[in-house]
Amino acid sequence: MNASLRLSLNSLRAHRRRFAGTFLAVFLGVAFLTGTLVMGDTLRASFGSMFGEATSGTDAVVRGADAITAPGEAQGVRRPVSISLVRSIERVPGVAAAAPQIQGAGQLVGADGEPVGGQGPPTLAGNWITDRDLNPYRIAEGRAPAGPGEVVVNRGAAAKGGLEIGDTTVLRTPDPVRVTVVGLATFGGQDGMAQVTFTGMTRADAEKYLTERPGQATSIQVRAADGVSQRELVRRLAPVLPKGVEAITGQQSARENTDMISSQFLTVFTAFLLVFSGVALLVATFSIHNTFAIVVAQRTRENALLRALGAARGQVTAAALAEAAVVALTASAAGLAGGTGVAAGLQALFPAIGFPFPEGALVIRTPSMVLPLAVGLVVCLGSALLPAVRAGRTAPLAALRETAVDTSGASRSRAITGTALAVLALTATLSGVLASPSLRLAGAGALLALAAFVVLGPVVATTAVRLLGGPLDRLRGVTGALARRNALRSPKRTAATASALMTGVAVVSLFTVFGASLKATMDQTVSRSFAGDVAVSTPSFGAGGSGLSPRLAPALARLPEVDTAVGLGKAVAEVDGAGRELTVTDPAALARAFDLGTVTGSLRGLGSDGLALTRTEADRQHLRPGDTARLTFTDGRTDTFTVRAVYGPSQLVGDYVITRSAWAPHRTQDSDRLIAVTFGRGVGAGAGEAAVKRAAARYGNPEVQTREEYARSSAGGIDMMLTLVYALLALAVVIALLGIANTLTLAVHERTRELGLLRAVGQTRAQLRAMVRWESVLVAAFGTVGGLGLGAFLGWALVKASDGVSDSAFVFALPPLRLTLVALVGLTAGVLAALRPARRAARLDVLRAVAAE
Amino acid sequence: MTTTTEPRAAARVVDAVKVYGAGDTAVRALDGVGLAFPAGRFTAIMGPSGSGKSTLMHCAAGLDTLTSGTAWIGDTELGALDDRRLTLLRRDRVGFVFQAFNLVPTLTVAENITLPLDLAGRRGDREWIDALVDVVGLRDRLHHRPSELSGGQQQRVAVARAFAGRPDVVFADEPTGNLDSRSGGEVLGLLGRAVRQTERTVVMVTHDPVAAAHADEVVFLADGRLVDRMEAPTADKVLDRMKAFEVRS
Repeated sequence: MNASLRLSLNSLRAHRRRFAGTFLAVFLGVAFLTGTLVMGDTLRASFGSMFGEATSGTDAVVRGADAITAPGEAQGVRRPVSISLVRSIERVPGVAAAAPQIQGAGQLVGADGEPVGGQGPPTLAGNWITDRDLNPYRIAEGRAPAGPGEVVVNRGAAAKGGLEIGDTTVLRTPDPVRVTVVGLATFGGQDGMAQVTFTGMTRADAEKYLTERPGQATSIQVRAADGVSQRELVRRLAPVLPKGVEAITGQQSARENTDMISSQFLTVFTAFLLVFSGVALLVATFSIHNTFAIVVAQRTRENALLRALGAARGQVTAAALAEAAVVALTASAAGLAGGTGVAAGLQALFPAIGFPFPEGALVIRTPSMVLPLAVGLVVCLGSALLPAVRAGRTAPLAALRETAVDTSGASRSRAITGTALAVLALTATLSGVLASPSLRLAGAGALLALAAFVVLGPVVATTAVRLLGGPLDRLRGVTGALARRNALRSPKRTAATASALMTGVAVVSLFTVFGASLKATMDQTVSRSFAGDVAVSTPSFGAGGSGLSPRLAPALARLPEVDTAVGLGKAVAEVDGAGRELTVTDPAALARAFDLGTVTGSLRGLGSDGLALTRTEADRQHLRPGDTARLTFTDGRTDTFTVRAVYGPSQLVGDYVITRSAWAPHRTQDSDRLIAVTFGRGVGAGAGEAAVKRAAARYGNPEVQTREEYARSSAGGIDMMLTLVYALLALAVVIALLGIANTLTLAVHERTRELGLLRAVGQTRAQLRAMVRWESVLVAAFGTVGGLGLGAFLGWALVKASDGVSDSAFVFALPPLRLTLVALVGLTAGVLAALRPARRAARLDVLRAVAAE
Repeated sequence: MTTTTEPRAAARVVDAVKVYGAGDTAVRALDGVGLAFPAGRFTAIMGPSGSGKSTLMHCAAGLDTLTSGTAWIGDTELGALDDRRLTLLRRDRVGFVFQAFNLVPTLTVAENITLPLDLAGRRGDREWIDALVDVVGLRDRLHHRPSELSGGQQQRVAVARAFAGRPDVVFADEPTGNLDSRSGGEVLGLLGRAVRQTERTVVMVTHDPVAAAHADEVVFLADGRLVDRMEAPTADKVLDRMKAFEVRS
């Protein structure tokens, strides 16, 4: 074996414990990355095979050719196809069977009166296709729907809603329909299509409740006769299809569905996890660098002796790097195994928390193994490179001198580089925020700011620790003074240790500030533009939920307590060629329940060919009152609309408004997303709310909320997201904590004699533990304060840049309580990190320590 | 050796046995030593390497525990104390001067001197400490760090620290081992003056006859046993006695 390698292996064996922290940091980062990749692949493959299996009997799908997609929507809306087309399709040679599929939004109400699902995945209702091969669902229990009001529910949704065969409940389509569950269904062998809920009804019911006009279907499913390929089938179908209708193969349809699910769910999910493994590895970088720097410094004499005995610089460097490589390889390999285990664990865990994770073996692709391994190696070797080069530069004479810890403070060039970086970061961020709003520029500024903080760390460490530790002398006497000065001993080391925690805390604070700002923004949106007394809505997000019955608003308006009840419906159309979301409402009543700012023109006379839009959109499209715009609807028809009013920005109302009569000829399944209600003069808030609640109960029991409650629930999703973010970022803090613990352990080892002396002259074990603990807390405080500052600044930059980039106004908010909590967590990390090193230090034998060479 | 008129002992060991290791490799570092260090006296412990002199000091000072026998500081039996009480006893009643590495590098000279008092949270006798600073001649160095002092100056700070809390007894382990003869002489002179002028008790382990000559009495150890004592030693007499060991062994 090569001499360098033998040296590094021996040294690793001798100092295994020193590398425990490094090992763990790499392990966690790599495991996270691997777990994310493997789970993503597995999910994608499972979804793919699930769709493939469920729709294997469908050889072609006939549907509207064009989809209109509003910005921010995952899936476009297609024009319906006529059911009469089924006849002509069945006559095409090679077609064995064809069946219309009528699908719409339909949310079940569970046994407890609460709606089932709706928090993201779609809540679908459709006709139960009687051709077994064309229906992706299979009856698992009970029977297919045969008469009015009979439905089949997918097993997952039934379980979630506590519904059993024979139960009667309400299906919001969004008009409440009383239905009786007669059967439970499975999808591709699973309890459902991921978390999508499905309610199957008879075709007559589906046409009645899910489409605006009978005779229309979402698509037509076609099965080929034996010997006709899917491609051939599509080719043969083409001639009989009218303009604007297309046929695609069953395979393509399955793939589109898989991609849709993937993009809706997986992309966000995996992107989230990847960002966190990135943060974890970044934090790990600092910890690893620090460990190697200390180990190399401690080994100065040994390295000098090697150099004196004739080892070349390169050999010493190579030995140090080989050590890093061995740690990286073992830790990454363990991380690969751990990550695969994590993925398997999640696969087992998901069903337990009610998420039907499709079964199937873990999919382990080569990239999911190679990428994390490479990342682990690069991170570890990259972090060890500088210390290794430094080891190679050891002068042979150093063998004769006392081993010295690197106590040098910050060099001038570091201060200059750091300051230059900071100025550059500030310039980039500020110009990205204030001058010419650009998220990219602000992002680049954020990265530069992080770099500046890391470079400047040692420069400010001395002052910062002195300031932060100021009260310690007075509070904790000589123990505090010793802790503070120990933290000051090597500003570089203190800064590097703190950097890991700083990065973690910065990311946490960034999310906290951004989340709080989003909440404040929503709050402001509601309180500024919502002028009603109560809001009626069905809380849901994503594609979930089915909205409110369009008959509810008129019913509420008839109540004696109510002055105005205005419903906002949702429509999509292409406005001059671009997909847009329109609000369908009664524009005349709109201004009474929403604050629309300055209105140019009149909202009263919109009529069936009038359009109102926000000032920002009007400016963007160069439209003024009196101008015309061409709107293309999902039924394929294009109408010319006249701009009759321009209003101030309103998040709640949206960018475009048309009347119900303008929408009526084009509309699909009709629903309102929000009803704003104002009470008549002299009606008490309690009485009014009670009356609205009573009336709403008959329409599928939607939520009736006061203005404050509505504002709070609009922001509820953010808290949920933040909680998830915190849970994942805890990992980064754990890695930072390991870094601090590792540095302290090494420092304790370095100071063996000094600790022995302190014990000999009368420091009790408790005092010694306190000393180590306070040092750790100081380092943690330095990192936490830096992280809070950096995170708050970046949060501010992100909010302001988003404000400048997007149409909606963002509000910046600093949540003091949450940030205090983050600070406390950082300090607690310091206390926890000191536990083991402090215990070890206190266990030192006094005599051995004093006598130690 | 007088028995009835013997002054009160500041520290003593009775039938002290210390065995390192076990079985075949067991080493009896102390083999039944009984010895009292009288209060107000400067005692030197001498002996060839491996005679057990350092072990004796460590056990008498409560830094190490005896295998059998008892060690006392004043009327306190050390074997009966747990780690905490032993630490407090060292802090309040014993002073130490080691061969090297006596000072905490992060603390100033003044802070090093008052370290045991500060650890105890006591203010101590400021006049006494002030006088000590003058005796060791470091008034102009009080706010320096140990790394800014010479080896001799560092040991003088250590001596000042050892006496700062007016301990019952100060143990010095080869205090001049790392010093040149002039600095060593200064440190020894300081120890001697502290005993004679302020009636403190000092026990010093050394292998240097010149250092031993500063003591009131020298006790000789060989192979873990007490073999001789010498009152009013001189360097020559001590050297002769040591030579006798070498001849005999």
